[in-house]
Amino acid sequence: MEPSITTTRSRRLLRTSLALALVFACTLPATVLAKETEAEKAAKEQAAQEKLLQVFISEPYLELSTGPGRGYPVFHVVERDASVDVLYRRTDWFKVRDEQGVEGWARARDMRRAKLADGSPFVFPLGDRLGFTTHNWELGIGGGDYGGANLINAYGAYSLTDNMKVELTLSQFLGNSSNGYKAEVGITQVLFPEWRLSPFLELGTGVVYVEPRATIVLPEDRTDQTAYAGAGLRFYLTRRFFVRADYRWHTIFTSRDDNQELEEWKVLIACFF
Amino acid sequence: MESSNRLLLLAALAATVTLSGCSIFHRQKVEKPQTEEQAAAEEQAEDQDSTPPRVIEPNVARRKIKTPKIDTENWEIGIGAGFVSIEDFGTNPTYAGQLTYHVTEDFFFRADLGQSTAGKTSFETLNGDVELLTGDERRFTYYSLSLGYNFLPGEVYLGRDTAMNSGFYVLGGIGSVKFGGDNRLTLNFGAGYYVLTTDWLAIHLGVQDRVFDSDLLGETKVTNNIETLLSATVFF
Repeated sequence: MEPSITTTRSRRLLRTSLALALVFACTLPATVLAKETEAEKAAKEQAAQEKLLQVFISEPYLELSTGPGRGYPVFHVVERDASVDVLYRRTDWFKVRDEQGVEGWARARDMRRAKLADGSPFVFPLGDRLGFTTHNWELGIGGGDYGGANLINAYGAYSLTDNMKVELTLSQFLGNSSNGYKAEVGITQVLFPEWRLSPFLELGTGVVYVEPRATIVLPEDRTDQTAYAGAGLRFYLTRRFFVRADYRWHTIFTSRDDNQELEEWKVLIACFF
Repeated sequence: MESSNRLLLLAALAATVTLSGCSIFHRQKVEKPQTEEQAAAEEQAEDQDSTPPRVIEPNVARRKIKTPKIDTENWEIGIGAGFVSIEDFGTNPTYAGQLTYHVTEDFFFRADLGQSTAGKTSFETLNGDVELLTGDERRFTYYSLSLGYNFLPGEVYLGRDTAMNSGFYVLGGIGSVKFGGDNRLTLNFGAGYYVLTTDWLAIHLGVQDRVFDSDLLGETKVTNNIETLLSATVFF
């Protein structure tokens, strides 16, 4: 008995060292690559400079931080009337480069006070209440109940208008008798997008894949078409976040004689951008 | 005085009649196109006669600003490797991928997907030829959808000249695990540390506990499966 345990351990050791090697293989070349391409990147940026947006500071000064977060220290200020090139944006921070080539992160709130070359204000979407009414994308995760089974859910939506959204929902359900996945596409109609708490209606179709649990004897795996109609509420929390809860009435077009009808409810935490 | 006036009026009248007569006379005729020379001469004469309009043209060149689209880099994708301690089945190497969307500087959504292979329970090891699970059933595949919170932002210093941004985060969410021939709902929570080697490349070291009910060893119990992962991610 004893020797067999030792062999298992040594094999495990081998595997763990292999895994560690892989991690280094993954991370190290990446860092080296990062250094190597630094010069290349700078050259590329120079070439693309005409495409960068230039904004002018109209406040007494613009503070630049070392990182895109309020905890990172301010290390540089850009004076009034000087310009900065906007490199890119991450959450509510802009990476900018000033005339001397100093790069740093500027707060979106401060950038809102900057002006474009023609004197017009620099306007961009902020994650606020107004953004909750008008935005392009939504993303959310959550859970709920699908015909008695636990439901794990993720969704993405694209706004056609403030009211109407095209929605893709991916779910997994885990029940006592069966598990499965489903993917659905639908239209969501938000009735009062400008309200903080707004009801919405939804209609859609998709496919559901059901696999019976290993321990219970049931018919084999099956894939069926499904359709749903539903209604729900969405509530704006803060910044870019909102909560949505909805109820869906599903009809599954099974290959058996009768269609199956299922109820689903879920709660999701979602963001818009 | 009067006679000269009358004379002038008569002359004017005569001229009018003659001219209008001419026009009547020529009415039937198709108007001959002027020769180019004539036209040019007339134009020249006109130019000399009429002074250019004295309108003040504002000498302001309007700059047309076409705002370039600003690149947003809120997504982060990466792969990693580490270990997962599957309760009763030993600690085993695991490989995982992660996709993160940074909603604000504080909060993010993250999806994890990973796979490991469970080892043997001590019961199996001690009994030699007993196999609780088949090879396929030993595969431990998991995913989770989490909400995370960044805190303690800071910097790490490598030598005198290099400072890299870093930070901690906590996260928690739901997901599922496929193990022992069955899918199970999991709750996951954990914490991590990251260092941004550049603005777009981060190295993460994270620990997450994935909790689920398992009945593989007879009775149903809550199992804790702790995963340690070292990963590299790229912002895009």
